[in-house]
Amino acid sequence: MNILCAVGIRGGGELVRRVLEVTGPDHDLHLLHVTDAGPRHALEHLLHGPRHRPPPPPGRDPSLPTGPERRITEAEERATAAILDEARREAERAGFRCHLHAASGRPEQLVVARAEELGCQLAVIRASEGGAGTPRLGPASVGHTARFVLDHAPCDVLLVRSR
Amino acid sequence: MARTLLGASIFGATLLAIMVRPYRIPEAAAAAVGALAMMAAGIVAPADAVGVLAGQLNVYGFFLGLMTISAIADQAGVFTALAGGAGRWAGGSSRRLLVGTFAIGTVITAFLSNDATALILTPAVFALVTRLRLPVLPYMFACTFIADTASFLLPVSNPINILIQDGLGGGLLPFLRYLLLPALLCIGLNLGAFLYLFRADLRQGYLLADLPSTEPSHRPYLRATLAVLGIIAVAFVLATSLGVPVAWVALGGAAGLLVLSAVHRRLGWGRLRREISWSLFVFISGMFLVVRGVENLGLTRSFGTALVDLAGRSPLRASLLTAGGSALGANLINNVPMALVMVSALRSIGTTPSSHQGLIYAAMFGCDLGPNLTTVGSLATMLWLLILRRKGLEVSSVQYFKLGIALVPVMLLLGGVLIWLRS
Repeated sequence: MNILCAVGIRGGGELVRRVLEVTGPDHDLHLLHVTDAGPRHALEHLLHGPRHRPPPPPGRDPSLPTGPERRITEAEERATAAILDEARREAERAGFRCHLHAASGRPEQLVVARAEELGCQLAVIRASEGGAGTPRLGPASVGHTARFVLDHAPCDVLLVRSR
Repeated sequence: MARTLLGASIFGATLLAIMVRPYRIPEAAAAAVGALAMMAAGIVAPADAVGVLAGQLNVYGFFLGLMTISAIADQAGVFTALAGGAGRWAGGSSRRLLVGTFAIGTVITAFLSNDATALILTPAVFALVTRLRLPVLPYMFACTFIADTASFLLPVSNPINILIQDGLGGGLLPFLRYLLLPALLCIGLNLGAFLYLFRADLRQGYLLADLPSTEPSHRPYLRATLAVLGIIAVAFVLATSLGVPVAWVALGGAAGLLVLSAVHRRLGWGRLRREISWSLFVFISGMFLVVRGVENLGLTRSFGTALVDLAGRSPLRASLLTAGGSALGANLINNVPMALVMVSALRSIGTTPSSHQGLIYAAMFGCDLGPNLTTVGSLATMLWLLILRRKGLEVSSVQYFKLGIALVPVMLLLGGVLIWLRS
């Protein structure tokens, strides 16, 4: 079975162990981390918006970030690598056949899109990325990403609650 | 009468263009067209215009020096190093890291002004927090909010303060007398509110091993830059207390840092030129002339007289109205024209009674704090909307949103009362 496992910024190892408990190890596990591009867009709006900092000059390839943008891109890449690595180690120990995917954009939409592209039979998502203050049950216990995936995923969904 | 109507229309149209930005017209272009219209209508004579602009050399020099200092400090890695320092100090606690972010934001704003924090510290903190795998929004908010909340710690903490003090006089001591207490109170309130609002996001720890380390080859240059920045900070305080124009300190400091970076072979002219917002000079020059136009027509004087009438009857109400009105104006349009209108209005009424002097600081307070809701605030609003989207329709997120909007009015109210108590 093809399983898509959406890994948030924390707790990838724990998530993989929970999948193992439910499905057993003999599956293809696609580990996906999506960097939420929203805050960065807001930051770029601030830096290049009406308040002062001019955008990079024309003639320069805009896809090559400079200055603060470069540092942020480096930090994002580094964090993504660490996040996926943590989950991969756990998945390999469990005996899954493991595949890594990284993306940037709106997490809820990309998780659904990848589940479809990869032909997954099961999508795994944590109920919420919120900290310890998030309620365990009830409407507020399911965050917006999980709720979107529940509503739109083309396959079965395993909703993993925090214990 | 027709002339007054024409001048008022030019003023209104300029402000509207800055506020709405039709066809994405830059603010600087709107201000420049407004200034030319005032001159074409004969409301501001050419000689008058030259006089007005020549009288503002301190403001121009301050802006130019400050932007240069910030850009060189950024290139030297000062902001990244400070963010990393906060990360080490916090020792793995995301709550302490937020406190540390507030602390460095406060110090940078106090000595290098609000834009250094909003535009340069924010990306540095963003990169650090991403790397540490913590939620970025609380920290981004902390930077953008503290940039305005710490704006009235010192006269140099916001160019608006210099603009107002140049127009109306005053020095370090009266500034501190009126604004130090409100500043400390607002910073404390802001920090407390953030720790409470983001308490659920701030329970995770991080690994100290994930913190970036400065390359050893960068360290001597970084240390030297920090030392020069320390000297600049002390010089700013001395200059404002001795009445020396701050432009000298800003330009002198910029020159010192330029020499230092040239000696260390780190000077990038092209990059430096791009980091400085040249259109800002066009914008403020245009606004000086447009506001001079309405001043020549006596409109700001009537505004000032109305304010004095109010102050005569109820000083507390005048203080609160001035702070609140300035904040609202700074929010809706921009804090530069708002500050200039307040300067012109308050100058026309004189500042001899101490209650009038309180009004100067109430205006400064409002103009500094106001943009928390739109200019940086347009970002803050965007971020709140982002949070709302992320949280779906949960009740807690609506409360979140309301508390964020409520924070600025509460700070305005407390500050207005404190300024009134000092008058």
